[in-house]
Amino acid sequence: MTTSHLGRLAMAAIIAAMILVPVIQTSEESLNLVSLILIWALFAIGFDLIFGMAGMLSFGHAALFGSGGYALTLLVTKAGVGFVPALGAAGMVGAVMAFGLSIFALRVSGLFFSLLTLALAQLVYILASTKLRSHTGGLDGIPGVPRPELFGIDFYDNRNYYYFLIVVFIVGIAVMALLRASPFGKALQAVQANDVRAAQIGYNVQRLRQCAFMISGFYAGVSGALLASLMFYISPQMLHWTTSGDVLIMTVLGGKGTLLGPILGVAVFEVLKEKLSQYTQHWYGILGLIFILCTIFLPNGIAGLFARKAAGRPGDAP
Amino acid sequence: MSRVRDGASAGGLRCENIQVAFGGLKAVAGVSYDFKPGHLYGLIGPNGAGKTTLMNALSGHATLSGGRVFLDNRDITRLSVHARTRAGLGRSFQITKIFSGMSVLENLQLGAFAHRYRVQPFWMPASRFRDVREDAEKVLEQVGLTKLAHTSADYLSHGDQRALEVGLTLLGDPRVLLLDEPLAGVGHERLDQAIDLIRRIVAGRTVLLIEHNMDVVMQVSHEIVVMVQGQLLASGSPDEVRANPAVRAAYLGEGE
Ligand SMILES: Nc1ncnc2c1ncn2[C@@H]1O[C@H](COP(=O)(O)OP(=O)(O)OP(=O)(O)O)[C@@H](O)[C@H]1O
Ligand SMILES: [Mg+2]
Repeated sequence: MTTSHLGRLAMAAIIAAMILVPVIQTSEESLNLVSLILIWALFAIGFDLIFGMAGMLSFGHAALFGSGGYALTLLVTKAGVGFVPALGAAGMVGAVMAFGLSIFALRVSGLFFSLLTLALAQLVYILASTKLRSHTGGLDGIPGVPRPELFGIDFYDNRNYYYFLIVVFIVGIAVMALLRASPFGKALQAVQANDVRAAQIGYNVQRLRQCAFMISGFYAGVSGALLASLMFYISPQMLHWTTSGDVLIMTVLGGKGTLLGPILGVAVFEVLKEKLSQYTQHWYGILGLIFILCTIFLPNGIAGLFARKAAGRPGDAP
Repeated sequence: MSRVRDGASAGGLRCENIQVAFGGLKAVAGVSYDFKPGHLYGLIGPNGAGKTTLMNALSGHATLSGGRVFLDNRDITRLSVHARTRAGLGRSFQITKIFSGMSVLENLQLGAFAHRYRVQPFWMPASRFRDVREDAEKVLEQVGLTKLAHTSADYLSHGDQRALEVGLTLLGDPRVLLLDEPLAGVGHERLDQAIDLIRRIVAGRTVLLIEHNMDVVMQVSHEIVVMVQGQLLASGSPDEVRANPAVRAAYLGEGE
Protein backbone atom coordinates (compact mmCIF):
# COMPACT_ATOMS: atom_id res chain seq x y z
CA MET A 1 0.00 0.00 0.00
CA THR A 2 3.06 2.28 0.03
CA THR A 3 4.20 4.54 -2.75
CA SER A 4 7.64 3.57 -3.92
CA HIS A 5 10.54 5.53 -2.52
CA LEU A 6 11.56 6.42 -6.03
CA GLY A 7 8.20 8.06 -6.59
CA ARG A 8 8.52 10.10 -3.43
CA LEU A 9 12.04 11.18 -4.33
CA ALA A 10 10.89 12.23 -7.77
CA MET A 11 8.03 14.19 -6.20
CA ALA A 12 10.39 16.02 -3.86
CA ALA A 13 12.75 16.75 -6.75
CA ILE A 14 9.91 18.16 -8.85
CA ILE A 15 8.72 20.45 -6.08
CA ALA A 16 12.25 21.63 -5.33
CA ALA A 17 12.85 22.29 -9.02
CA MET A 18 9.66 24.29 -9.25
CA ILE A 19 10.58 26.48 -6.33
CA LEU A 20 13.96 27.11 -7.94
CA VAL A 21 12.58 27.98 -11.38
CA PRO A 22 12.03 31.70 -10.76
CA VAL A 23 15.50 31.95 -9.24
CA ILE A 24 17.31 30.31 -12.14
CA GLN A 25 15.02 31.05 -15.04
CA THR A 26 14.34 34.72 -15.39
CA SER A 27 12.39 34.94 -18.63
CA GLU A 28 8.69 35.70 -18.48
CA GLU A 29 7.93 32.90 -20.94
CA SER A 30 9.39 30.13 -18.82
CA LEU A 31 7.73 31.54 -15.72
CA ASN A 32 4.43 31.49 -17.57
CA LEU A 33 5.09 27.93 -18.71
CA VAL A 34 5.74 26.54 -15.25
CA SER A 35 2.75 28.46 -13.90
CA LEU A 36 0.59 26.75 -16.50
CA ILE A 37 2.10 23.40 -15.54
CA LEU A 38 1.27 23.94 -11.86
CA ILE A 39 -2.33 24.82 -12.63
CA TRP A 40 -2.95 22.01 -15.09
CA ALA A 41 -1.18 19.56 -12.77
CA LEU A 42 -3.65 20.45 -10.02
CA PHE A 43 -6.48 19.85 -12.49
CA ALA A 44 -4.95 16.55 -13.62
CA ILE A 45 -4.37 15.06 -10.16
CA GLY A 46 -8.01 15.85 -9.38
CA PHE A 47 -9.05 14.21 -12.64
CA ASP A 48 -6.99 11.13 -11.82
CA LEU A 49 -8.83 10.63 -8.53
CA ILE A 50 -11.83 9.45 -10.51
CA PHE A 51 -10.02 8.21 -13.62
CA GLY A 52 -6.97 6.43 -12.22
CA MET A 53 -8.32 5.54 -8.77
CA ALA A 54 -12.02 4.89 -9.27
CA GLY A 55 -11.88 3.92 -12.95
CA MET A 56 -14.43 6.45 -14.24
CA LEU A 57 -13.60 8.20 -17.51
CA SER A 58 -15.25 11.61 -17.35
CA PHE A 59 -15.45 13.72 -20.50
CA GLY A 60 -17.17 16.49 -18.61
CA HIS A 61 -14.30 17.95 -16.64
CA ALA A 62 -14.15 21.00 -18.90
CA ALA A 63 -17.48 22.09 -17.42
CA LEU A 64 -16.12 21.85 -13.87
CA PHE A 65 -12.88 23.59 -14.80
CA GLY A 66 -14.59 26.44 -16.65
CA SER A 67 -17.30 26.91 -14.04
CA GLY A 68 -14.60 27.46 -11.44
CA GLY A 69 -13.07 30.14 -13.63
CA TYR A 70 -16.38 31.91 -14.15
CA ALA A 71 -17.29 31.59 -10.47
CA LEU A 72 -14.10 33.32 -9.34
CA THR A 73 -14.35 36.01 -12.00
CA LEU A 74 -17.96 36.89 -11.25
CA LEU A 75 -17.59 36.67 -7.48
CA VAL A 76 -14.59 39.00 -7.39
CA THR A 77 -15.58 41.48 -10.10
CA LYS A 78 -19.37 41.58 -9.68
CA ALA A 79 -19.93 40.65 -6.04
CA GLY A 80 -16.77 42.12 -4.53
CA VAL A 81 -15.76 38.91 -2.75
CA GLY A 82 -12.08 38.58 -1.76
CA PHE A 83 -9.86 36.49 -4.01
CA VAL A 84 -9.08 33.68 -1.57
CA PRO A 85 -12.69 33.09 -0.45
CA ALA A 86 -13.71 33.29 -4.10
CA LEU A 87 -11.09 30.67 -4.95
CA GLY A 88 -12.61 28.38 -2.32
CA ALA A 89 -16.06 29.14 -3.71
CA ALA A 90 -14.82 28.28 -7.22
CA GLY A 91 -13.84 24.87 -5.86
CA MET A 92 -17.27 24.49 -4.28
CA VAL A 93 -18.93 25.43 -7.56
CA GLY A 94 -16.84 22.75 -9.28
CA ALA A 95 -17.94 20.23 -6.65
CA VAL A 96 -21.61 21.20 -6.92
CA MET A 97 -21.44 20.98 -10.72
CA ALA A 98 -19.84 17.55 -10.34
CA PHE A 99 -22.68 16.55 -8.02
CA GLY A 100 -25.17 17.71 -10.64
CA LEU A 101 -23.41 15.76 -13.37
CA SER A 102 -23.15 12.67 -11.19
CA ILE A 103 -26.89 12.56 -10.53
CA PHE A 104 -27.42 11.78 -14.19
CA ALA A 105 -24.14 10.21 -15.24
CA LEU A 106 -23.78 7.71 -12.38
CA ARG A 107 -26.98 6.00 -13.44
CA VAL A 108 -25.01 4.50 -16.29
CA SER A 109 -21.51 3.08 -16.46
CA GLY A 110 -18.57 2.61 -18.79
CA LEU A 111 -18.82 4.26 -22.18
CA PHE A 112 -22.28 5.63 -21.42
CA PHE A 113 -20.93 7.45 -18.39
CA SER A 114 -18.27 9.10 -20.58
CA LEU A 115 -20.78 10.08 -23.25
CA LEU A 116 -23.28 11.45 -20.76
CA THR A 117 -20.67 13.60 -19.01
CA LEU A 118 -19.55 14.85 -22.43
CA ALA A 119 -23.11 15.76 -23.44
CA LEU A 120 -23.87 17.53 -20.17
CA ALA A 121 -20.60 19.47 -20.32
CA GLN A 122 -21.33 20.57 -23.89
CA LEU A 123 -24.68 21.81 -22.62
CA VAL A 124 -22.85 24.00 -20.11
CA TYR A 125 -20.55 25.23 -22.89
CA ILE A 126 -23.49 26.21 -25.06
CA LEU A 127 -25.29 27.88 -22.15
CA ALA A 128 -22.21 29.94 -21.29
CA SER A 129 -21.61 31.04 -24.87
CA THR A 130 -25.20 31.92 -25.71
CA LYS A 131 -28.00 31.94 -23.15
CA LEU A 132 -25.97 33.32 -20.26
CA ARG A 133 -24.20 35.87 -22.44
CA SER A 134 -25.15 38.78 -20.19
CA HIS A 135 -23.13 37.23 -17.34
CA THR A 136 -20.39 35.38 -19.20
CA GLY A 137 -19.69 37.76 -22.03
CA GLY A 138 -20.61 35.05 -24.53
CA LEU A 139 -17.90 33.88 -26.88
CA ASP A 140 -15.90 37.06 -26.24
CA GLY A 141 -15.36 36.00 -22.65
CA ILE A 142 -14.50 38.32 -19.77
CA PRO A 143 -11.21 40.21 -19.74
CA GLY A 144 -9.62 41.57 -16.59
CA VAL A 145 -9.90 38.54 -14.30
CA PRO A 146 -8.16 39.71 -11.11
CA ARG A 147 -5.23 38.33 -9.13
CA PRO A 148 -5.10 37.85 -5.34
CA GLU A 149 -4.68 40.80 -3.00
CA LEU A 150 -2.88 39.60 0.12
CA PHE A 151 -0.32 40.89 2.60
CA GLY A 152 0.34 43.88 0.35
CA ILE A 153 2.17 41.63 -2.15
CA ASP A 154 1.80 42.57 -5.80
CA PHE A 155 0.47 39.37 -7.37
CA TYR A 156 0.13 41.12 -10.71
CA ASP A 157 3.86 40.45 -10.85
CA ASN A 158 4.04 37.00 -12.46
CA ARG A 159 6.85 35.91 -10.17
CA ASN A 160 4.82 36.61 -7.04
CA TYR A 161 1.75 34.95 -8.50
CA TYR A 162 3.93 31.96 -9.26
CA TYR A 163 4.74 31.62 -5.56
CA PHE A 164 1.05 31.87 -4.75
CA LEU A 165 0.46 29.00 -7.19
CA ILE A 166 3.19 26.90 -5.59
CA VAL A 167 1.55 27.23 -2.19
CA VAL A 168 -1.86 26.18 -3.54
CA PHE A 169 -0.22 23.39 -5.50
CA ILE A 170 1.65 21.94 -2.52
CA VAL A 171 -1.50 22.02 -0.38
CA GLY A 172 -3.38 20.33 -3.23
CA ILE A 173 -0.74 17.63 -3.62
CA ALA A 174 -0.52 16.96 0.11
CA VAL A 175 -4.28 16.62 0.48
CA MET A 176 -4.47 14.36 -2.56
CA ALA A 177 -1.61 12.17 -1.31
CA LEU A 178 -3.48 11.69 1.96
CA LEU A 179 -6.79 10.99 0.22
CA ARG A 180 -5.18 8.37 -1.98
CA ALA A 181 -3.45 6.61 0.90
CA SER A 182 -6.53 6.75 3.14
CA PRO A 183 -9.20 4.07 3.49
CA PHE A 184 -11.34 6.27 1.23
CA GLY A 185 -8.69 6.08 -1.51
CA LYS A 186 -8.34 2.33 -1.05
CA ALA A 187 -12.10 1.98 -1.32
CA LEU A 188 -12.02 3.78 -4.68
CA GLN A 189 -9.37 1.36 -5.88
CA ALA A 190 -11.56 -1.49 -4.72
CA VAL A 191 -14.47 -0.09 -6.70
CA GLN A 192 -12.28 0.11 -9.79
CA ALA A 193 -10.83 -3.38 -9.33
CA ASN A 194 -14.19 -5.09 -8.86
CA ASP A 195 -17.33 -3.10 -8.17
CA VAL A 196 -19.54 -6.14 -7.59
CA ARG A 197 -17.22 -7.47 -4.90
CA ALA A 198 -16.81 -3.97 -3.46
CA ALA A 199 -20.57 -3.71 -2.98
CA GLN A 200 -20.71 -7.28 -1.65
CA ILE A 201 -18.21 -6.60 1.14
CA GLY A 202 -20.26 -3.60 2.20
CA TYR A 203 -19.02 -0.53 0.33
CA ASN A 204 -21.63 1.92 -0.85
CA VAL A 205 -20.20 2.00 -4.36
CA GLN A 206 -22.36 4.77 -5.79
CA ARG A 207 -21.74 7.06 -2.85
CA LEU A 208 -17.99 6.51 -3.07
CA ARG A 209 -18.06 7.32 -6.78
CA GLN A 210 -20.10 10.43 -6.13
CA CYS A 211 -17.77 11.67 -3.37
CA ALA A 212 -14.73 11.11 -5.58
CA PHE A 213 -16.41 12.95 -8.43
CA MET A 214 -17.17 15.94 -6.20
CA ILE A 215 -13.63 16.13 -4.83
CA SER A 216 -12.37 15.90 -8.39
CA GLY A 217 -14.77 18.72 -9.25
CA PHE A 218 -13.37 20.83 -6.41
CA TYR A 219 -9.85 20.46 -7.80
CA ALA A 220 -11.12 21.31 -11.28
CA GLY A 221 -12.93 24.40 -10.03
CA VAL A 222 -9.92 25.73 -8.14
CA SER A 223 -7.51 25.10 -11.02
CA GLY A 224 -9.89 26.67 -13.52
CA ALA A 225 -10.08 29.78 -11.34
CA LEU A 226 -6.29 29.92 -11.06
CA LEU A 227 -5.92 29.64 -14.84
CA ALA A 228 -8.38 32.48 -15.47
CA SER A 229 -6.46 34.58 -13.00
CA LEU A 230 -3.11 33.71 -14.58
CA MET A 231 -4.34 34.77 -18.02
CA PHE A 232 -6.46 37.71 -16.75
CA TYR A 233 -9.12 36.30 -19.02
CA ILE A 234 -11.84 33.69 -19.24
CA SER A 235 -13.86 32.51 -22.22
CA PRO A 236 -16.06 29.50 -23.04
CA GLN A 237 -12.94 27.94 -24.56
CA MET A 238 -12.18 26.62 -21.06
CA LEU A 239 -15.55 24.86 -21.10
CA HIS A 240 -14.96 23.31 -24.50
CA TRP A 241 -14.73 19.51 -24.68
CA THR A 242 -11.11 19.74 -25.88
CA THR A 243 -10.21 20.82 -22.35
CA SER A 244 -11.54 17.48 -21.10
CA GLY A 245 -9.57 15.75 -23.85
CA ASP A 246 -6.36 17.56 -22.92
CA VAL A 247 -6.51 16.60 -19.26
CA LEU A 248 -7.18 12.99 -20.26
CA ILE A 249 -4.19 12.95 -22.64
CA MET A 250 -1.95 14.51 -19.99
CA THR A 251 -3.01 11.96 -17.37
CA VAL A 252 -2.58 8.93 -19.63
CA LEU A 253 0.73 10.25 -20.96
CA GLY A 254 2.14 10.67 -17.46
CA GLY A 255 0.59 7.54 -15.98
CA LYS A 256 -2.88 7.19 -14.53
CA GLY A 257 -3.45 5.87 -11.05
CA THR A 258 -0.37 7.52 -9.61
CA LEU A 259 0.11 10.91 -7.99
CA LEU A 260 3.31 11.62 -9.88
CA GLY A 261 2.05 10.54 -13.30
CA PRO A 262 -0.44 13.30 -14.09
CA ILE A 263 2.07 15.95 -13.00
CA LEU A 264 4.75 14.53 -15.31
CA GLY A 265 2.20 14.21 -18.09
CA VAL A 266 1.17 17.85 -17.75
CA ALA A 267 4.81 18.99 -17.75
CA VAL A 268 5.68 16.96 -20.86
CA PHE A 269 2.50 18.05 -22.64
CA GLU A 270 2.95 21.75 -21.92
CA VAL A 271 6.67 21.81 -22.74
CA LEU A 272 6.14 19.93 -26.00
CA LYS A 273 3.24 22.18 -26.90
CA GLU A 274 5.35 25.26 -26.20
CA LYS A 275 8.33 24.02 -28.23
CA LEU A 276 6.41 22.42 -31.09
CA SER A 277 4.09 25.35 -31.61
CA GLN A 278 7.13 27.52 -32.32
CA TYR A 279 7.99 25.39 -35.35
CA THR A 280 4.71 24.19 -36.76
CA GLN A 281 1.00 24.85 -36.53
CA HIS A 282 0.42 21.11 -36.63
CA TRP A 283 1.69 20.73 -33.07
CA TYR A 284 -1.57 19.23 -31.86
CA GLY A 285 -1.31 16.44 -34.42
CA ILE A 286 2.29 15.70 -33.43
CA LEU A 287 1.25 15.63 -29.76
CA GLY A 288 -1.49 13.21 -30.71
CA LEU A 289 1.05 10.97 -32.42
CA ILE A 290 3.34 11.05 -29.38
CA PHE A 291 0.35 10.22 -27.24
CA ILE A 292 -0.51 7.20 -29.37
CA LEU A 293 3.09 5.95 -29.34
CA CYS A 294 3.18 6.35 -25.58
CA THR A 295 0.01 4.35 -25.02
CA ILE A 296 1.56 1.55 -27.11
CA PHE A 297 5.06 1.51 -25.66
CA LEU A 298 4.43 2.93 -22.18
CA PRO A 299 1.08 1.51 -21.06
CA ASN A 300 1.68 2.82 -17.56
CA GLY A 301 2.79 6.22 -18.77
CA ILE A 302 5.99 8.02 -17.99
CA ALA A 303 5.57 7.38 -14.27
CA GLY A 304 5.49 3.65 -15.07
CA LEU A 305 9.23 3.94 -15.66
CA PHE A 306 9.71 4.96 -12.03
CA ALA A 307 7.16 2.99 -10.06
CA ARG A 308 7.42 -0.58 -8.92
CA LYS A 309 4.39 -2.66 -8.18
CA ALA A 310 3.58 -2.72 -4.48
CA ALA A 311 2.38 -6.30 -4.34
CA GLY A 312 4.90 -8.95 -5.33
CA ARG A 313 4.95 -12.23 -7.12
CA PRO A 314 5.22 -15.36 -5.01
CA GLY A 315 8.63 -15.54 -3.41
CA ASP A 316 9.20 -11.79 -3.39
CA ALA A 317 10.25 -10.35 -0.08
CA PRO A 318 7.22 -8.74 1.58
CA MET B 1 -22.65 -34.61 17.48
CA SER B 2 -24.34 -31.52 16.22
CA ARG B 3 -22.78 -29.29 13.62
CA VAL B 4 -24.82 -26.38 14.91
CA ARG B 5 -22.67 -24.77 17.56
CA ASP B 6 -24.29 -21.46 18.25
CA GLY B 7 -27.56 -21.22 16.45
CA ALA B 8 -28.65 -18.26 18.57
CA SER B 9 -26.31 -15.83 16.83
CA ALA B 10 -27.08 -17.12 13.36
CA GLY B 11 -29.78 -15.41 11.34
CA GLY B 12 -32.89 -16.74 9.70
CA LEU B 13 -33.40 -16.15 5.99
CA ARG B 14 -36.83 -16.51 4.46
CA CYS B 15 -37.92 -16.00 0.91
CA GLU B 16 -41.47 -15.73 -0.37
CA ASN B 17 -42.35 -16.45 -3.97
CA ILE B 18 -39.08 -15.11 -5.43
CA GLN B 19 -39.15 -14.48 -9.15
CA VAL B 20 -36.39 -13.34 -11.45
CA ALA B 21 -36.83 -13.09 -15.20
CA PHE B 22 -34.34 -12.39 -17.98
CA GLY B 23 -36.48 -11.28 -20.86
CA GLY B 24 -38.86 -14.16 -21.41
CA LEU B 25 -36.78 -16.64 -19.39
CA LYS B 26 -37.97 -17.21 -15.86
CA ALA B 27 -34.65 -18.10 -14.21
CA VAL B 28 -36.33 -18.21 -10.80
CA ALA B 29 -40.02 -18.93 -11.05
CA GLY B 30 -41.52 -18.52 -7.60
CA VAL B 31 -39.32 -19.93 -4.88
CA SER B 32 -40.40 -19.87 -1.23
CA TYR B 33 -38.31 -21.30 1.55
CA ASP B 34 -37.51 -20.75 5.20
CA PHE B 35 -33.81 -21.16 5.99
CA LYS B 36 -33.67 -21.72 9.74
CA PRO B 37 -30.96 -20.15 11.91
CA GLY B 38 -27.79 -22.20 12.31
CA HIS B 39 -28.61 -24.79 9.67
CA LEU B 40 -26.58 -25.63 6.60
CA TYR B 41 -28.60 -25.99 3.42
CA GLY B 42 -27.15 -27.63 0.35
CA LEU B 43 -28.70 -26.19 -2.79
CA ILE B 44 -28.37 -28.57 -5.71
CA GLY B 45 -29.73 -28.79 -9.21
CA PRO B 46 -28.60 -29.22 -12.80
CA ASN B 47 -26.72 -26.50 -14.70
CA GLY B 48 -28.96 -23.54 -15.47
CA ALA B 49 -31.50 -24.48 -12.79
CA GLY B 50 -31.37 -20.95 -11.37
CA LYS B 51 -29.31 -21.58 -8.24
CA THR B 52 -26.93 -18.67 -8.75
CA THR B 53 -29.79 -16.41 -9.78
CA LEU B 54 -31.68 -17.30 -6.59
CA MET B 55 -28.58 -16.42 -4.61
CA ASN B 56 -28.33 -13.13 -6.52
CA ALA B 57 -31.91 -12.42 -5.54
CA LEU B 58 -31.15 -13.10 -1.88
CA SER B 59 -27.99 -10.98 -1.82
CA GLY B 60 -29.43 -8.08 -3.81
CA HIS B 61 -27.61 -8.47 -7.13
CA ALA B 62 -30.67 -9.45 -9.13
CA THR B 63 -33.75 -7.37 -9.75
CA LEU B 64 -36.82 -9.25 -8.58
CA SER B 65 -39.90 -9.38 -10.74
CA GLY B 66 -41.78 -10.56 -7.69
CA GLY B 67 -41.51 -11.88 -4.16
CA ARG B 68 -39.93 -10.84 -0.91
CA VAL B 69 -36.82 -11.63 1.16
CA PHE B 70 -36.66 -11.53 4.96
CA LEU B 71 -33.62 -11.58 7.20
CA ASP B 72 -34.63 -12.32 10.79
CA ASN B 73 -38.18 -11.33 9.88
CA ARG B 74 -37.03 -7.97 8.61
CA ASP B 75 -38.04 -7.30 5.01
CA ILE B 76 -34.81 -6.68 3.10
CA THR B 77 -36.31 -6.94 -0.38
CA ARG B 78 -35.62 -3.31 -1.17
CA LEU B 79 -32.18 -3.08 0.44
CA SER B 80 -29.14 -2.64 -1.76
CA VAL B 81 -26.30 -5.16 -1.82
CA HIS B 82 -24.11 -3.28 0.66
CA ALA B 83 -26.98 -2.68 3.06
CA ARG B 84 -27.74 -6.42 3.13
CA THR B 85 -24.08 -7.10 3.79
CA ARG B 86 -24.19 -4.69 6.71
CA ALA B 87 -27.30 -6.44 7.96
CA GLY B 88 -25.25 -9.63 8.25
CA LEU B 89 -25.46 -11.38 4.89
CA GLY B 90 -22.19 -12.66 3.41
CA ARG B 91 -21.76 -13.99 -0.11
CA SER B 92 -19.11 -15.73 -2.18
CA PHE B 93 -19.26 -16.05 -5.96
CA GLN B 94 -19.14 -18.95 -8.38
CA ILE B 95 -16.80 -16.92 -10.58
CA THR B 96 -14.00 -15.61 -8.36
CA LYS B 97 -14.35 -11.91 -7.59
CA ILE B 98 -11.24 -10.72 -5.82
CA PHE B 99 -9.42 -7.40 -6.09
CA SER B 100 -6.72 -7.89 -8.67
CA GLY B 101 -3.56 -5.80 -8.51
CA MET B 102 -3.60 -5.97 -4.71
CA SER B 103 -2.02 -8.36 -2.25
CA VAL B 104 -3.99 -10.98 -0.35
CA LEU B 105 -3.74 -8.96 2.86
CA GLU B 106 -4.86 -5.79 1.08
CA ASN B 107 -7.85 -7.66 -0.30
CA LEU B 108 -8.92 -8.68 3.18
CA GLN B 109 -8.18 -5.26 4.65
CA LEU B 110 -10.62 -3.71 2.18
CA GLY B 111 -13.25 -6.03 3.52
CA ALA B 112 -12.42 -4.99 7.06
CA PHE B 113 -12.59 -1.28 6.20
CA ALA B 114 -15.92 -1.72 4.45
CA HIS B 115 -17.36 -3.37 7.54
CA ARG B 116 -15.89 -1.13 10.20
CA TYR B 117 -16.64 2.25 8.64
CA ARG B 118 -19.87 3.52 7.20
CA VAL B 119 -18.02 6.65 6.04
CA GLN B 120 -14.55 5.67 4.90
CA PRO B 121 -11.91 7.68 6.80
CA PHE B 122 -10.05 10.05 4.46
CA TRP B 123 -7.90 11.89 6.97
CA MET B 124 -5.39 9.16 7.81
CA PRO B 125 -3.32 6.69 5.78
CA ALA B 126 -4.89 3.24 5.62
CA SER B 127 -1.69 1.69 6.96
CA ARG B 128 -2.35 3.30 10.36
CA PHE B 129 -5.45 1.27 11.09
CA ARG B 130 -4.24 -1.48 13.40
CA ASP B 131 -7.67 -2.95 14.14
CA VAL B 132 -8.35 -3.39 10.45
CA ARG B 133 -5.07 -5.16 9.95
CA GLU B 134 -5.86 -7.46 12.84
CA ASP B 135 -9.28 -8.28 11.39
CA ALA B 136 -7.64 -9.12 8.10
CA GLU B 137 -4.91 -11.21 9.68
CA LYS B 138 -7.47 -13.22 11.60
CA VAL B 139 -9.27 -14.18 8.41
CA LEU B 140 -5.93 -14.74 6.70
CA GLU B 141 -5.21 -17.42 9.26
CA GLN B 142 -8.71 -18.90 9.09
CA VAL B 143 -8.41 -19.48 5.36
CA GLY B 144 -4.79 -20.60 5.56
CA LEU B 145 -3.22 -17.85 3.48
CA THR B 146 -0.93 -16.31 6.10
CA LYS B 147 2.19 -17.28 4.18
CA LEU B 148 0.85 -15.63 1.05
CA ALA B 149 -0.24 -12.38 2.76
CA HIS B 150 1.96 -10.15 0.63
CA THR B 151 1.53 -12.00 -2.65
CA SER B 152 -0.50 -10.28 -5.31
CA ALA B 153 -3.94 -11.89 -5.60
CA ASP B 154 -3.30 -12.25 -9.34
CA TYR B 155 -0.47 -14.70 -8.78
CA LEU B 156 -2.33 -17.06 -6.45
CA SER B 157 -3.06 -20.61 -7.55
CA HIS B 158 -6.70 -21.28 -8.35
CA GLY B 159 -7.21 -23.08 -5.05
CA ASP B 160 -5.76 -20.17 -3.11
CA GLN B 161 -7.91 -17.72 -5.03
CA ARG B 162 -10.98 -19.74 -4.03
CA ALA B 163 -9.79 -19.61 -0.41
CA LEU B 164 -9.43 -15.82 -0.67
CA GLU B 165 -12.88 -15.61 -2.25
CA VAL B 166 -14.29 -17.39 0.80
CA GLY B 167 -12.15 -15.29 3.14
CA LEU B 168 -13.63 -12.09 1.74
CA THR B 169 -17.07 -13.22 2.88
CA LEU B 170 -15.95 -13.70 6.47
CA LEU B 171 -15.06 -10.11 7.35
CA GLY B 172 -17.79 -8.58 9.43
CA ASP B 173 -18.64 -12.05 10.74
CA PRO B 174 -21.88 -12.58 8.76
CA ARG B 175 -24.73 -14.45 10.41
CA VAL B 176 -25.97 -15.74 7.08
CA LEU B 177 -23.53 -17.05 4.51
CA LEU B 178 -24.31 -17.72 0.87
CA LEU B 179 -21.60 -19.81 -0.77
CA ASP B 180 -21.81 -20.32 -4.52
CA GLU B 181 -19.72 -23.38 -5.45
CA PRO B 182 -16.76 -22.58 -3.21
CA LEU B 183 -15.12 -25.81 -4.36
CA ALA B 184 -15.52 -25.13 -8.08
CA GLY B 185 -12.29 -25.90 -9.89
CA VAL B 186 -10.42 -26.86 -6.74
CA GLY B 187 -8.07 -29.71 -7.65
CA HIS B 188 -8.14 -33.18 -6.08
CA GLU B 189 -5.02 -32.61 -4.04
CA ARG B 190 -6.61 -29.61 -2.30
CA LEU B 191 -10.17 -30.83 -2.01
CA ASP B 192 -9.87 -32.10 1.57
CA GLN B 193 -8.28 -28.87 2.70
CA ALA B 194 -11.03 -26.85 1.00
CA ILE B 195 -13.81 -28.97 2.53
CA ASP B 196 -12.15 -28.55 5.89
CA LEU B 197 -12.22 -24.78 5.44
CA ILE B 198 -15.92 -24.84 4.61
CA ARG B 199 -16.65 -26.96 7.67
CA ARG B 200 -14.79 -24.56 9.92
CA ILE B 201 -16.38 -21.35 8.70
CA VAL B 202 -19.98 -22.52 8.60
CA ALA B 203 -20.15 -23.18 12.33
CA GLY B 204 -22.59 -20.87 14.06
CA ARG B 205 -23.98 -19.42 10.84
CA THR B 206 -26.95 -20.03 8.62
CA VAL B 207 -25.50 -21.28 5.36
CA LEU B 208 -26.78 -21.80 1.86
CA LEU B 209 -24.23 -23.83 -0.07
CA ILE B 210 -24.42 -24.47 -3.81
CA GLU B 211 -22.26 -27.45 -4.67
CA HIS B 212 -22.11 -29.93 -7.52
CA ASN B 213 -19.98 -32.50 -5.67
CA MET B 214 -22.70 -34.79 -4.29
CA ASP B 215 -20.48 -36.57 -1.76
CA VAL B 216 -19.44 -33.29 -0.21
CA VAL B 217 -22.84 -31.65 -0.17
CA MET B 218 -24.59 -34.72 1.26
CA GLN B 219 -21.93 -34.94 3.93
CA VAL B 220 -21.93 -31.38 5.22
CA SER B 221 -25.57 -30.33 4.82
CA HIS B 222 -28.35 -30.60 7.37
CA GLU B 223 -30.87 -30.25 4.64
CA ILE B 224 -30.82 -30.47 0.86
CA VAL B 225 -32.88 -28.22 -1.38
CA VAL B 226 -33.26 -29.33 -4.99
CA MET B 227 -33.91 -26.78 -7.69
CA VAL B 228 -34.90 -27.56 -11.27
CA GLN B 229 -35.90 -25.06 -13.95
CA GLY B 230 -36.31 -22.17 -11.57
CA GLN B 231 -38.45 -24.04 -9.08
CA LEU B 232 -37.94 -26.11 -5.95
CA LEU B 233 -38.41 -29.77 -6.74
CA ALA B 234 -37.82 -31.23 -3.30
CA SER B 235 -36.21 -30.65 0.05
CA GLY B 236 -35.36 -32.68 3.09
CA SER B 237 -32.55 -34.51 4.83
CA PRO B 238 -29.77 -35.86 2.61
CA ASP B 239 -31.16 -39.37 2.94
CA GLU B 240 -34.70 -38.34 2.09
CA VAL B 241 -33.56 -36.42 -0.96
CA ARG B 242 -31.34 -39.23 -2.12
CA ALA B 243 -34.30 -41.60 -1.93
CA ASN B 244 -36.76 -39.22 -3.60
CA PRO B 245 -37.72 -40.73 -6.98
CA ALA B 246 -38.52 -37.35 -8.55
CA VAL B 247 -35.06 -36.08 -7.65
CA ARG B 248 -33.42 -39.20 -8.95
CA ALA B 249 -35.27 -38.85 -12.22
CA ALA B 250 -34.69 -35.16 -12.68
CA TYR B 251 -31.20 -34.82 -11.40
CA LEU B 252 -29.31 -37.49 -9.57
CA GLY B 253 -30.12 -40.09 -12.19
CA GLU B 254 -28.13 -38.33 -14.84
CA GLY B 255 -24.46 -39.14 -14.73
CA GLU B 256 -24.31 -40.06 -11.04
N1 LIG C 1 -27.57 -12.11 -16.53
C1 LIG C 1 -28.28 -13.03 -17.21
N2 LIG C 1 -28.91 -12.69 -18.36
C2 LIG C 1 -29.65 -13.60 -19.04
N3 LIG C 1 -29.84 -14.86 -18.64
C3 LIG C 1 -29.23 -15.25 -17.51
C4 LIG C 1 -28.43 -14.36 -16.74
N4 LIG C 1 -27.96 -15.02 -15.65
C5 LIG C 1 -28.43 -16.27 -15.76
N5 LIG C 1 -29.19 -16.42 -16.86
C6 LIG C 1 -29.91 -17.64 -17.27
O1 LIG C 1 -30.73 -18.02 -16.18
C7 LIG C 1 -30.72 -19.43 -16.01
C8 LIG C 1 -30.25 -19.78 -14.62
O2 LIG C 1 -28.87 -19.46 -14.50
P1 LIG C 1 -28.07 -19.67 -13.16
O3 LIG C 1 -26.71 -19.13 -13.38
O4 LIG C 1 -28.85 -19.14 -12.03
O5 LIG C 1 -27.99 -21.27 -13.08
P2 LIG C 1 -27.22 -22.16 -12.02
O6 LIG C 1 -28.22 -23.07 -11.43
O7 LIG C 1 -26.41 -21.35 -11.11
O8 LIG C 1 -26.28 -23.01 -13.00
P3 LIG C 1 -24.78 -23.55 -12.77
O9 LIG C 1 -24.90 -24.80 -12.01
O10 LIG C 1 -24.29 -23.78 -14.16
O11 LIG C 1 -24.02 -22.48 -12.06
C9 LIG C 1 -29.82 -19.98 -17.12
O12 LIG C 1 -30.63 -20.39 -18.18
C10 LIG C 1 -28.98 -18.80 -17.51
O13 LIG C 1 -28.61 -18.89 -18.85
MG1 LIG D 1 -24.42 -21.11 -10.72
